[in-house]
Amino acid sequence: MDDLNVKNQSAVKQFVPTPPRPPRKTERGFLGTIRHRCFNSVGNGLLTLCVATVLFYLVKHVLDWAVFNAVFSADNRRQCMDVSPEGACWAGVISWFNGLIYGRFPLEEQWRVNVGVLLGLVWLLPLISKRLPLRNFILLSWIGLYPFVGAYLFLGGRFGAELGLIHGAMASLALAFLGILYANWVLSALGKKGLNELFVPLLSRFVQRRLQLLSLVAVWLLVALVMVFGLSQMSLTPVPIDRWGGLFLTFIIAGFAITMAIPIGVVLALGRRSKLPVIHWLSMAVIELVRSVPLITVLFMAVTLLPIFLPADMEFNKLTQVLVAVCLFAGAYMAENIRGGLQAIPKGQYEAAATLGLGYLHTMVLVILPQALRMMIPNIMTSFISLLKDTTLVSIIGLFDIMLMARNIANDKDWVGMHTEPLVMISVLFFVLCYGMSQYSLNLEKRLKVDR
Amino acid sequence: MIQSSTSKSSNRTGLLNNDASRAVILQAVVLLLALFGLWFLFANASENLNRLGMTFGFDFLQVTAGFNISWSLIPYDPSMSYWRVFFVGIVNTLVLSFCVIVVGTIIGTVVGILRLSDNPLVSQLARWYVEIVRNVPLLIQIIFWFTVVFSTLPAPRQSYHLGEWLFLNNRGLYVTTLQSAVSWGWVLLLVAALIIALYGLFRWSKSYYTLSGSRSTGFYIGLLFWALFACWALWFLVNAMTLSVPSLQGFNFSGGAFLPASFGAAFVAMTVYRSAAIAETVRAGMQSIDRGQHEAAFTIGFSRVQSLRLILIPQAIRAIIPPMTNSWLTSVKDSSLAVAIGFPELVSVFMQTSMNQTGRAIEIIFMVMGFYIFISLLISYLLNKYNDSVQYKVR
Repeated sequence: MDDLNVKNQSAVKQFVPTPPRPPRKTERGFLGTIRHRCFNSVGNGLLTLCVATVLFYLVKHVLDWAVFNAVFSADNRRQCMDVSPEGACWAGVISWFNGLIYGRFPLEEQWRVNVGVLLGLVWLLPLISKRLPLRNFILLSWIGLYPFVGAYLFLGGRFGAELGLIHGAMASLALAFLGILYANWVLSALGKKGLNELFVPLLSRFVQRRLQLLSLVAVWLLVALVMVFGLSQMSLTPVPIDRWGGLFLTFIIAGFAITMAIPIGVVLALGRRSKLPVIHWLSMAVIELVRSVPLITVLFMAVTLLPIFLPADMEFNKLTQVLVAVCLFAGAYMAENIRGGLQAIPKGQYEAAATLGLGYLHTMVLVILPQALRMMIPNIMTSFISLLKDTTLVSIIGLFDIMLMARNIANDKDWVGMHTEPLVMISVLFFVLCYGMSQYSLNLEKRLKVDR
Repeated sequence: MIQSSTSKSSNRTGLLNNDASRAVILQAVVLLLALFGLWFLFANASENLNRLGMTFGFDFLQVTAGFNISWSLIPYDPSMSYWRVFFVGIVNTLVLSFCVIVVGTIIGTVVGILRLSDNPLVSQLARWYVEIVRNVPLLIQIIFWFTVVFSTLPAPRQSYHLGEWLFLNNRGLYVTTLQSAVSWGWVLLLVAALIIALYGLFRWSKSYYTLSGSRSTGFYIGLLFWALFACWALWFLVNAMTLSVPSLQGFNFSGGAFLPASFGAAFVAMTVYRSAAIAETVRAGMQSIDRGQHEAAFTIGFSRVQSLRLILIPQAIRAIIPPMTNSWLTSVKDSSLAVAIGFPELVSVFMQTSMNQTGRAIEIIFMVMGFYIFISLLISYLLNKYNDSVQYKVR
């Protein structure tokens, strides 16, 4: 009955809703938003005015100090004071800038730091591209080989003397690898055959299988041999580790800890999730013990206890001790992130892997870990950011990272007592780095969500 | 039994192909490696200690420390033992982190709620406060407050002051305190008894009210007695108390209580840093509540305060407690950074000064780490209990 009625009526007269009227003029646009959200009530209006006033004076004060009244060139602090006692004295920071970046690395050798860092970045450059094959392989090669090149450039020395034979050989292999990687890239872009094809005709006489791979290895070894020859011909002035410092040292510690944290974390997390009681309890003990003490005590432990607990003839420099401590610490924190990811993987994934007949290792490496790591990217990035910030703690046990360099400016006879400007400067630096990393991680998170 | 024995691949030969035996072998290998590692470390340690002519033991704790500690809440003087130094360090650490936790949580909650404000100016201000504070290392902030703010305060003679009650200068803060003729323990007991009595009275009355719909006369009589007793207690306390006012004598202040500048710097820096982390926790917790809950509260005519108190906060608490626990634990651990500006907390007095003087690295490091582990376990145990009590009860 009702149906019938409705039908009849609709046949007679169609209901046309009036389109909604646009908002009033006072509610639209930028001014409308401000009126609507900042001054919609008396209380809110007062709040807005108060906040705006405070903000205005804050910004004015900071800008006056940092820009308008600041002194950018002077020979010492007294001159700064004479020109403008109210403003910042950036001249001191500028004259110490080199020290803040390179520590006490000899001036004429600093190009090596630049080259080394650039090399590491160039190596990782292919990772930005989304389509390039073997991206994980490139990352692994970076972790395995780059440290040898880096250490050689930063430490210097002659092949066979300060630069050990194994170290030198690995550095040559690394350089050869990088060279072939980019050569192949360029060749394939030009539409030519890659270097890996070079030996194929020669090798095909002896072997039938795995020709490509063998050829590539042959090219690699050959180039590496040339590199060894090159390295033995030139010698870099040795730079002792205690001259490393500044932002450079901060990056070395953070970079090393970040790369080591993932493998250590994966092993510990898998151990903690293991059904075998011994492995489970051991991993859990390590994770919980390290996580419940402050980093500074772990650093003290590494510096004072490592020499006691290891054979007397083993010698360590402070940096090695610190690296051990920071890696252990970062690994334990990373393990908890990764465990979170492992727990979030639905059981079906394990069952599917078992159905395919995959063993434990294959299940983890091919199915579970890639998903777990991807799911935990925001947390892992957060851990990296706090790791970068925590590296400043090494200044407490006397490593000349950027923090200690900045504090040292106040002891310089020209800039006695200048604390504020260096601290502000490195605060801004850390802010830019950490904020950039967190924004990148947000970006990454969004991108990966789109991919799914 | 039969099923399990057939489903296990018992027909496969070889020890390594059997799941059970493989598990045993793997665990045995790991255990042996761990034991070997421990043995290796301890063998080296004992050899090294022998070589250096040192012994392992905790007897050094009885020895007189002989150095001064710039500030301690419990009485200390250089003739006391290393045990006392250990406890001074612990108490100072706990006092610092407790103050940071309390104030940091309050500020953090306020900032977290401001961050959700409709007013863009307010929410952006809160946002940039959080972003700036949490992206600059804590150590830099502590040193900044110490060297840039607290050390540049005027000398004691030109102190900033609030009447004659409070003096702030480059040494620290001098505050007027109450001194009590009776011991503080009794005073606390008295106050606690008053509060508990009032709470019990209201609770009993509320249950009566829900049953009968009116207040009982017993409640009013009880309230009267409580008020009389409270007046007496107040009178007693006022008589027992005297003010200890700091006054400048010679080069230093005497009387009152003193908080060193290093405490102030560490406290301010850590509180600010912690509040940013807590603000994010609070914001995430508030945002985890379904929007429908806001709307439902609005629909049944709750005011903003009511809907916050009765609907939103109880639900947000569930999401907030676990990360908040972590945050509190972290502030106890972060208090160790105060060593950088010489605040006498545990790491500073025990891991640095005492270790340098006695050379007992192993014992001291284990004691300090043991303390932090104990605190972590305690806080996480207590908060897990609380967490269990606020979670949804599901089958």
